[in-house]
Amino acid sequence: MLVKLIKKGAEADIYTGVWKNYKSIFKIRKIKNYRNASLDSKIRKQRTIKESQILSQVKSFGIPSPLVYFVDLEKTMIVMQEIPGKPVHDLSELKIIQSSKEIGKLVGLLHKNGVMHGDLTTSNFILFKNIIYMIDFGLSQNTIKPEDHAVDLRLIKEILNSAHAKIMQSCWKNFLAGYKSVVGITYQTKIVKLVSDIESRGRYAEVV
Amino acid sequence: MLGLGIESTAHTFSCAIIEKKGKKGKILSDIRKIFRPEAGQGIHPREASRHHIEHSPIVLSECLKEADVSIADLDIISYAAGPGLGPCLRVGAVVARSLSSFYKIPIYPVNHAIGHIELGKLLTGARDPLVLLVSGGHTMLLSFLDKQWRVFGETLDITLGQLLDQFGRSLGFASPCGKNIEELASTSSNYVSLPYSVKGNDVSFSGLLSATKSVSQKSKIDACYSLQETAFAMISETVERALSFTSKKELMIVGGVAANKRLSAMLKDVCKRHGCKFFVVPLQYAGDCGSQICWTGLLESQVKEGVLLKDTFVTQSWRLDSVKVDY
Repeated sequence: MLVKLIKKGAEADIYTGVWKNYKSIFKIRKIKNYRNASLDSKIRKQRTIKESQILSQVKSFGIPSPLVYFVDLEKTMIVMQEIPGKPVHDLSELKIIQSSKEIGKLVGLLHKNGVMHGDLTTSNFILFKNIIYMIDFGLSQNTIKPEDHAVDLRLIKEILNSAHAKIMQSCWKNFLAGYKSVVGITYQTKIVKLVSDIESRGRYAEVV
Repeated sequence: MLGLGIESTAHTFSCAIIEKKGKKGKILSDIRKIFRPEAGQGIHPREASRHHIEHSPIVLSECLKEADVSIADLDIISYAAGPGLGPCLRVGAVVARSLSSFYKIPIYPVNHAIGHIELGKLLTGARDPLVLLVSGGHTMLLSFLDKQWRVFGETLDITLGQLLDQFGRSLGFASPCGKNIEELASTSSNYVSLPYSVKGNDVSFSGLLSATKSVSQKSKIDACYSLQETAFAMISETVERALSFTSKKELMIVGGVAANKRLSAMLKDVCKRHGCKFFVVPLQYAGDCGSQICWTGLLESQVKEGVLLKDTFVTQSWRLDSVKVDY
């Protein structure tokens, strides 16, 4: 039973509601009229399936994430546990800097187990009772390719640079420290190198 | 204040004169000559710069004539110092330097991409927009924070303009091909599945380009239609991501591809969903023009003196997120 729309996200509407007596989150990927219908339905179905699979999968790596209660593929809807905390994006600057290390660790765990998140932003981590939860796996993939893992790091770096410009340096340093503590220095160095490779392929990147 | 702006980053050589009063600007003239390569070919930097050299005196004098202004009346001169094609950039810079040193007029190097955004803001009245800059040189989502334009998402390889142009050229059109593709696309509604590559807030078009080329061997119109649908859906999705992340209440689209009606229609729908105002730069000023350079130079002149002649550089790679904006 849906109760209230709490967020119109980029690709889904998020409602709170009740599922079998549990207070839950209903994530519904609604039809987007601006998109070609067959492309739209393909994207919505694929992402609903992928997200629910990976939400369950990552818990076995020790990554805190919402429990999946129910998936309705016709409505492209996932019903999941509510994490009633605050997105890291909305925390104080000091808290964001502190959280960065834990976020780095979680991302490290994800990569170590062969999964890329695909949408690493500070809005996709929720702090609740001193635990950081990872959410929103709509763009996630099972992949052990270092390039894919580098795409994850590049995205969070880009977000820190744009949305949290003032504290970017400390956040990035902490993130890498957390990441390294899980994947080890060799892999971390490799990924950071690949991040610069991706950046240098960008438009008008600094060229010598 | 009267300013002259000179644009010559790629295929367009343009001069414009704007009169600035307070925060308002009035475009008195904006004259352009566009280099047109042969069908199926792209912009050759040497050929384009030759075109610019040949046309610069005419464009400049027409621009002055239409604005009814003489060079001595000008308060500042600005030129596009990058990013762009080196040989082309140098033409504009040489014209600007010559005028500046002979007539003793302050000179301002301007970032071409910032020019697109500032002219867009002047013409649409957007105040604090999320900016989608889509052209042959750029595909970027930007928002302004702490004196700099910050990149929220961008292409990881080729731009939307390059995607359309390179595909168009493979069909035998001459750059810019956006309009030809749009026309062909409007005659089909048969969607052929193509690679859809959104990586967080970033997009990648190179795989889409190769895949579309092979589809076009069966049907050109289906390929055009599916290419537009896929590429624009990718852009729209990243716009939605950025809108939802930044909570901006305005979206402004600038750059050459802003002229595409299908893209505008999709983004209008996105804005409706997010309760956000939609601004698109008027068609006439979507592509490269002297006005964008002129207006940005005038804005800079509010807070800065002109630069010394020895510092009038051109830079092929000059990212707009490295520019400090103090006005």
